[in-house]
Amino acid sequence: MRGKNPCHLHHDELEAVLYVYQKLRKAEGVKGTITSLSSIFPVEEAQKAAKRVQDAIADRQKELEHLHSFISDNINLVNLVQKLPDELFHDVMVPFGKAAFFPGRLVHSNEFLVLLGEGYYAERTCKQTIEILQRRGKFLESQVESLKANLMDLKAEASFFDATAAEAAEGLVEIREDYVEENPAEKMPKSGLSKPDSSEAENVKLVAEDEEYARIMSRLDELEKEELAAQSANEDDDEEAETDFGCSINQESFDDHFKSLELRSQVLQSKVKTPITTATKEPLGGNFLKQDSSDHPPLKVQFEDSKIHYVPKAYNMEKSEAFGKPLSVSKEKIHAASVSTIEGFKDTVIGHPEVTANYKKVSGDTSSLSGSKTSFDSSKAFTGSIIEHAYNSQTKPAEQTVTSSQSTCSRPTKPVSRFKMQKGGR
Amino acid sequence: MSSSSALRELQHELETKANDLSKLQKEIAKNHQVRKKYTVQLGENELVLKELDLLNEDANVFKLIGPVLVKQDLAEAKANVRKRIDYISAELKRLDGTLQDLEEKQNSKKDAVLKVQQRIQALQAGKAKA
Repeated sequence: MRGKNPCHLHHDELEAVLYVYQKLRKAEGVKGTITSLSSIFPVEEAQKAAKRVQDAIADRQKELEHLHSFISDNINLVNLVQKLPDELFHDVMVPFGKAAFFPGRLVHSNEFLVLLGEGYYAERTCKQTIEILQRRGKFLESQVESLKANLMDLKAEASFFDATAAEAAEGLVEIREDYVEENPAEKMPKSGLSKPDSSEAENVKLVAEDEEYARIMSRLDELEKEELAAQSANEDDDEEAETDFGCSINQESFDDHFKSLELRSQVLQSKVKTPITTATKEPLGGNFLKQDSSDHPPLKVQFEDSKIHYVPKAYNMEKSEAFGKPLSVSKEKIHAASVSTIEGFKDTVIGHPEVTANYKKVSGDTSSLSGSKTSFDSSKAFTGSIIEHAYNSQTKPAEQTVTSSQSTCSRPTKPVSRFKMQKGGR
Repeated sequence: MSSSSALRELQHELETKANDLSKLQKEIAKNHQVRKKYTVQLGENELVLKELDLLNEDANVFKLIGPVLVKQDLAEAKANVRKRIDYISAELKRLDGTLQDLEEKQNSKKDAVLKVQQRIQALQAGKAKA
């Protein structure tokens, strides 16, 4: 195959291959150019360049050798200079002319006339001379270092030129996507075969990512809409609740209380049992609460969404309305105040025998509601806890006013009533 | 026939230009050599100055002038070396300037030669067609 003219043979074969390749690339929509290496770097030129660099390397190498010889000379000289003053005089052969020597004696063995360069000499002692020589040695070493670095660079260059020349000589044809066209696309300075695969894979990945992204976004949109709807509903409820405080708020708050209790009851079931019995014994609290709960049905809709924000409000109202009223009525006889209210509640209970039934219905409704709307459950649970606090605080003023008269009675009433409610809810 | 005479003229032009170019290149090479020599001398002088600075005031310094060593004052020697360094630096600068000048000339000459070559090729192509 590779006879005297390898380039030609290769070209004939390669042209066919390249044609096919180019077609493939075009089909992929990738712009690329195919340039034979020898057209960019003609074989001769590459070889010439390689040769030039090799020459430069040889020069540097020679210089390096020169420097090394200097260094070794310098070291020898230092050794010699160090030894000379050991003796008072040395017997030496003195060169005379070109080929003649005569015996002589080296005296003043600690006196040196050192050539500093540029025709300048200085009279120095042995020590001083050694110092000078050592400085010179350092200078030489630094030169060697720089030369070595230079040499490394040149060697790298030479290897590159050699490789290029060899490739060009082999008729190697490099398929190159042009530099400018390469960048906007992807990184693809690899081989032609692996590239399309990777790009396709990337495309697929991108598409998948897009789809996923779209899905996520749509889901987010949905959620946002739901949230908005819920908010608007809340606002509506809020307004409603505020319009008819009188009866509704009280109940509302109790509703909330209920729910919380309902939820809590799951946890507290064991505890619940004992208070229930006491509650039955003391119908006051139970009645009181039952009465409230009896007003439940109209409220159901509201309380669905009744939430934490207006709970405190509701309780404020509760304080004033639920307890303020009875208190104001019976201000003359504080002692009787609570009793009267209780009685009033009793009356209502008596007056409405179906109260308990209603209550149960309501509780059933609430439970069903809570069951159907799980998303509200969490909020309910939350409300519950808050309400309990509010409730306790609420009880305090009531107690303050009432305890004086019926502390024994009212105190157990409150917690008991709560559990009572729970019982009813269950 | 006019085309062939034009061709001959062009070839002549090319020859002269190529000669000019080679002359320029020689000059540049010479410049490089001189530069190298001066840089070496500069380095040597700097070394000498360093050593002279390290010498004691009362050290004996000699200068080799021809075959004889002439004793010199240290301060004088230092001043001489400094002067020499200054001179060499100035010379190097001058050489840099001339080198740039020469390279510019060389580039323009190269361009001119290329143009002439192209014209010759065009003429030859025209001739081949005709």
